[in-house]
Amino acid sequence: MKNNTWKICCALVIIIAILTLTPLVLPEGKHKPELMGMPYTLWVGIAISVVLWLITYVAVLVHPGKND
Amino acid sequence: MFQKLLIAASIYLMIIIGLALYSRKGERTSKNYLMAGSSLGGLLGMFTFAASLFSTFTLMGMPDFFRVHGVGAWIFLAFSDALMVFGVIWFGYYLRKSVKESQHEYLGMAGFMEQRFQSKWVGYLMFLGVFIFLVPYVAIQIRGISIFLNQVFPDALPLWVWAVGLVVVMLVYSELGGLKAIIYSDILQGILLLIVVWIIGVFCLKSLGGIEAMFDQVEAKNDKLLSVPGPNGLFTLQFFIGSAMGIMLLPFSQPHISTRIMIMKDNKSLYRMALGLGFFAILVILPTAFIGMYGAINYADLSPAEFLGKTLINDQSEIIAVLVTIGLIAAAISTSDSLLFALGGELRSLLKGEDKQMVNIARIAIVFFGVVCLIFALLSNDQLVLLARTSFAGTSILAPLIFTGILVKNPALHKWLAIPTLIGLLLFVCSSLGVLPKVYFGIRAEIMIPIVLGLIAFMTVFILPND
Repeated sequence: MKNNTWKICCALVIIIAILTLTPLVLPEGKHKPELMGMPYTLWVGIAISVVLWLITYVAVLVHPGKND
Repeated sequence: MFQKLLIAASIYLMIIIGLALYSRKGERTSKNYLMAGSSLGGLLGMFTFAASLFSTFTLMGMPDFFRVHGVGAWIFLAFSDALMVFGVIWFGYYLRKSVKESQHEYLGMAGFMEQRFQSKWVGYLMFLGVFIFLVPYVAIQIRGISIFLNQVFPDALPLWVWAVGLVVVMLVYSELGGLKAIIYSDILQGILLLIVVWIIGVFCLKSLGGIEAMFDQVEAKNDKLLSVPGPNGLFTLQFFIGSAMGIMLLPFSQPHISTRIMIMKDNKSLYRMALGLGFFAILVILPTAFIGMYGAINYADLSPAEFLGKTLINDQSEIIAVLVTIGLIAAAISTSDSLLFALGGELRSLLKGEDKQMVNIARIAIVFFGVVCLIFALLSNDQLVLLARTSFAGTSILAPLIFTGILVKNPALHKWLAIPTLIGLLLFVCSSLGVLPKVYFGIRAEIMIPIVLGLIAFMTVFILPND
């Protein structure tokens, strides 16, 4: 179970990394919709960093080599 | 203010020299001197990793990067750092496992690769690769802070005196206390960096009337800063891919960071360190965005040094300005000495002979590397972030060879991979110097070369017969 969760974490990180480099996160010349006044690429970028950190947190808990 | 700075700098110097003397206890073996005893806990590990990673380049380069190129700078560094942190957990585990299983006393990646590939030429190539790309990286730290100090105190000292002073300080205390001294000073620097960057960040935010008002003013001034590719068109897809690749691979391709993976007490400490580092990265980079936007509104047309001098010093109270200056000096010193020390470690890992004598050779070499970096610092240009990025991208060319050494059961069968790696390094250097094109088949050299080398390594290991 832990091994599968670790693999899911790895897959999620790869998927998020690919999506981040698409116009979904990096639309050229567009800064809307804004969040609390922040331009789109910045607030989505911050959200992605936080999500990646949370995935890393879960990955640490289930890492197959944790007790080596 | 110069007097107050001298007092504060003297106190800071006394603390780090004191820490260096405190670290001197115990026998001066390679393990103690170069690897700090290899028993670091998560918190200490986080500070030393962060201090080595977040340098002048972060504190001075990133605000300027936000100011000139806009919000895409977040993706450039924070996103890439988040991937790197995951990579530390993913592949850091394999690096430690591979070292443990091969019963190798790790003193540097060059020596480890020499042992894994059973080839001294692979070791020499690793050393050459890190040397040619880390020297400019150390040099820009020294140059960045020297230019800044020269800008802030134009009548005090010439630029070269600042640069020499910084190199002397870092050599003295790292020679005295070894990696332990560097780690202790890293804690001090990490805390200082965080405090300073947030004080200035909050000041910038407040003076612009909060986040919403700040971005409204940026939009009125230059709305291209609010999206990619930014006003100068720098933030293209290939720029982000190249940056992410270079930064993600730092823990394996840059020896001062690999060392920090190896000196952790156990895997649990490594993972705690990585988690702390991820959080630290977000905390440090966020205020640099505020500082950059403040500069974009108030100092859009100034040079980087003028913008930083005004924002970090002139616009602050004297006490804050002194704290900022000490923070910047500490940031430059802690990254540079880690790098110089790592170069010494890499050399030591290739040397065979009586340990004490080899440690002494490494110590002399560290002084030599310091002098080379100082000369380069006095001759290089002022594009801190772009030069740092070239260093990240350059060392990433070594990554396919390193991963083959770590992940493959018998890498000695593939020692010839050193030849395409050497060609890749030469191609990258030539394209960086403008001797060869920077783009091949529409793809930038810094992306193309590691990918081609990675494919060659993959085919060699998994497709071609291995006997």
